Amino acid sequence: MRALIRFGKQPRLRFISHLDLQRFFQRAVNRTGLPIAWSQGFNPHPVMSFGSALALGWTSEYEVIDIKLSAPMGRKRTEDAVRAALPEDLPVLEVRMVDDRHAAPMSLVRMSDYVVRLEGENAPAVIGQIPAFLEREVVEAIKKTKSGEKTINARPLVLSLEALDADRFRTRLMLTESQSIKPELLVGLLSDMAGVEAPMARVHRTMLLGLGAEGSPAPLMTL
Amino acid sequence: MSLSERIENLMMSVQKPVRYMGGEFNAVMKDPDRVDVRYAFLFPDTYEVGMSHLGMKILYHAINARDDAWCERVFSPWVDMADLMRRDGIPLFSLESRTPVKEFDLLGITLQYEMSFTNILEALDLAGIPLRSADRTEGPFIICGGPCAFNPEPLAPFVDLVALGDGEEETLQTIDLYKQWKAACLPREEYLRMAAQIPGIYVPSLYDVVYNDDGTVESVKPKPGSGAPEVVRKAFLKDLDTATYPEKLIVPYGEIIHNRIMLEIFRGCTRGCRFCQAGMIYRPIRERSIDRLMKMADSLISSTGYDEVSLMSLSSGDYSCLPELAHRMVERFGTRRVRISLPSQRIDTVLTDTLKETQKVKKTALTLAPEAGTQRLRDVINKGVTEDDLIRSVTDAFEQGWSAVKLYFMLGLPTETDEDVLGIADLAEKVRKCYFSVPKERRAPGLRITVSASVFVPKNDTPFQWAPQLDYDTVVRRQQLLRQALSRLKGVDFKYHAPDLSYIEAVFARGDRRVGEAMERAWRMGCRFDGWSDQFRYDLWLKAFEEEGIDPNFYALRPRPTDEVFPWDHLDCGVTKGYLLREWEKAQRAECTHDCRRGCTGCGMKRYPGACENR
Repeated sequence: MRALIRFGKQPRLRFISHLDLQRFFQRAVNRTGLPIAWSQGFNPHPVMSFGSALALGWTSEYEVIDIKLSAPMGRKRTEDAVRAALPEDLPVLEVRMVDDRHAAPMSLVRMSDYVVRLEGENAPAVIGQIPAFLEREVVEAIKKTKSGEKTINARPLVLSLEALDADRFRTRLMLTESQSIKPELLVGLLSDMAGVEAPMARVHRTMLLGLGAEGSPAPLMTL
Repeated sequence: MSLSERIENLMMSVQKPVRYMGGEFNAVMKDPDRVDVRYAFLFPDTYEVGMSHLGMKILYHAINARDDAWCERVFSPWVDMADLMRRDGIPLFSLESRTPVKEFDLLGITLQYEMSFTNILEALDLAGIPLRSADRTEGPFIICGGPCAFNPEPLAPFVDLVALGDGEEETLQTIDLYKQWKAACLPREEYLRMAAQIPGIYVPSLYDVVYNDDGTVESVKPKPGSGAPEVVRKAFLKDLDTATYPEKLIVPYGEIIHNRIMLEIFRGCTRGCRFCQAGMIYRPIRERSIDRLMKMADSLISSTGYDEVSLMSLSSGDYSCLPELAHRMVERFGTRRVRISLPSQRIDTVLTDTLKETQKVKKTALTLAPEAGTQRLRDVINKGVTEDDLIRSVTDAFEQGWSAVKLYFMLGLPTETDEDVLGIADLAEKVRKCYFSVPKERRAPGLRITVSASVFVPKNDTPFQWAPQLDYDTVVRRQQLLRQALSRLKGVDFKYHAPDLSYIEAVFARGDRRVGEAMERAWRMGCRFDGWSDQFRYDLWLKAFEEEGIDPNFYALRPRPTDEVFPWDHLDCGVTKGYLLREWEKAQRAECTHDCRRGCTGCGMKRYPGACENR
């Protein structure tokens, strides 16, 4: 049996790296008192995986961790135990029990929703470029990869984009191994179009999504 | 913008932002309006170093167990953060509530190491607190404790109170007194005067130092009418079983130096190694019972989720029922996949059984500290171990599957000769032979022997407080001598450092108030994080001493006559100067003193009522 846990990362803890968060959860699951399944091998560790890594500095209300249990356990009891083992700045938001055949959340993620707040006086000019961005079919962007830089068309990776107010926008971005774009890169493109220096962006993830029954986007926890 | 937001903005541009983040599991949050006393506890080094320190965890817990007080942590911001804080006018802040340190009632600072002293000045300056006690009219009272508190004289101009000995109770007494003082609306000096009456509390500003013409101290005496005691005796706990110990530990997010449960199995040491300050100042030995330790471990494992418990003390192999303790721990917690580890191995205790127990869960590196290369010199320092002990320990270890051994030595011990230094290489060679004497199919592959040689620093309150430090050039020559001798041995690494840092450390260990003036000068020139080799500025230190008109050799290299008054003589660390002197004289005759569990050696702890039952 496995527990899929959705949790948030509050502003105070946005500087924890993904690696540190993984280590943190190794100890946190020990604190739950739940029957955690351990890996075999020379260096056994609790069996768990994350839906998607959150970049340093971002906040979230949709982080998913998948923890394998060695014995059946009720949803409510699991939720209470996990909540007690996490600090208040990593709030437990949703728990779902699934069986061992359920696909790993990481393999289901296709896209992610964000709300981005821009800081500084350039924010309105950058937000103002959103309609022009949406009208274009090609927006070239330079993406840094492990093997160097490459030019991509960023436009199709931006599935939706909408201004919320003078300094905030909401967006849905592709998030797969071969096709992904980070909100900061999008801010950079909008800033280039506006001819201003890119403002500092505070990124908040609101949802991870996969593909539902009809092939349409659906929240990861419902899949 | 709030202070918290301004701090967060800086965190994007510094190394390791988790250092400044707070919000860890088990960090204590309270409502500031519902406590009477706010206590900031500063560890004057980085977060990773400070969070590995047991004393801070004990006092954090002890203070926060009270409803009327809230203790928060403060660490020295690394240089990148400190510079940005200065640029943006952000004051030093606590991790829990991000409150400026200046707004606290009490500021406790732990003195673990002389080379963190400049970080204290840096912290006060970042906090916007005047450096000198005499210049402060408001803001927190500054209380220092920890091992270096037994010679706090270099810090005397800067601190308000010094807490000697075990901190658990005296810290709470300073809080109680603060409440009384505040309720009575008394002037600031009055708190200092009243605090001088608490057992273990020394108030430097209430004492006058008189110097002789030759620069030595003539006397340190309480100011007339101050009511401060002639001699301040350290505070001590009779019974560790009933003493407070944390049931919860803060679990950091990033990696720190010692990221595990530290279980203090006893305090104090009976061995009497003559170089070891801890072995003197933490006397007498006080063990926790197995039952108490099992309960402590149980609640700490549950509340932290750690998978390792380290059995801490000055010499854990000396715990009187170690095999039983190790056995019960492994039995109870092994099924929860918790490792039990034993630091600071001594080579003369019977390791085998305990090693076997530890190994059931995980094999850890074997670290041994013979300290000196020849029997003669080991007798001088009263390290009661023989070559046979070492050979037996490493042979056992190699047979049990260890292949890595770390050997720690000191260079520059009193009476040391070139022969003693070459003896280190002989020992390493013998350890190597032990490994190859184990049949190939029974030993683990890949022998690694690491020989580390630090430069000896004579410390106050030890039998070697009269000894000169070995001069720079001779240290360097002997390091090279040893390096060459070891380079002939395959599989042996040699680690050593330039003697610069140990030299400055030696000045502070036996320094007086005048050394504090040079320290302020060095800090103003930019010295901070001196214990970090990438930050240490030997050139600036020498310049600071010169400009202050202070000869560092006077403090580090001068042999002291036995009738000299020391700047710390008015602070009683438990062992008497008479005992230390007897040990110094025996050292020069290379005579050993037995472990005091085998009979009282008259160290002086019996002057403390109920402290020591030893006969």
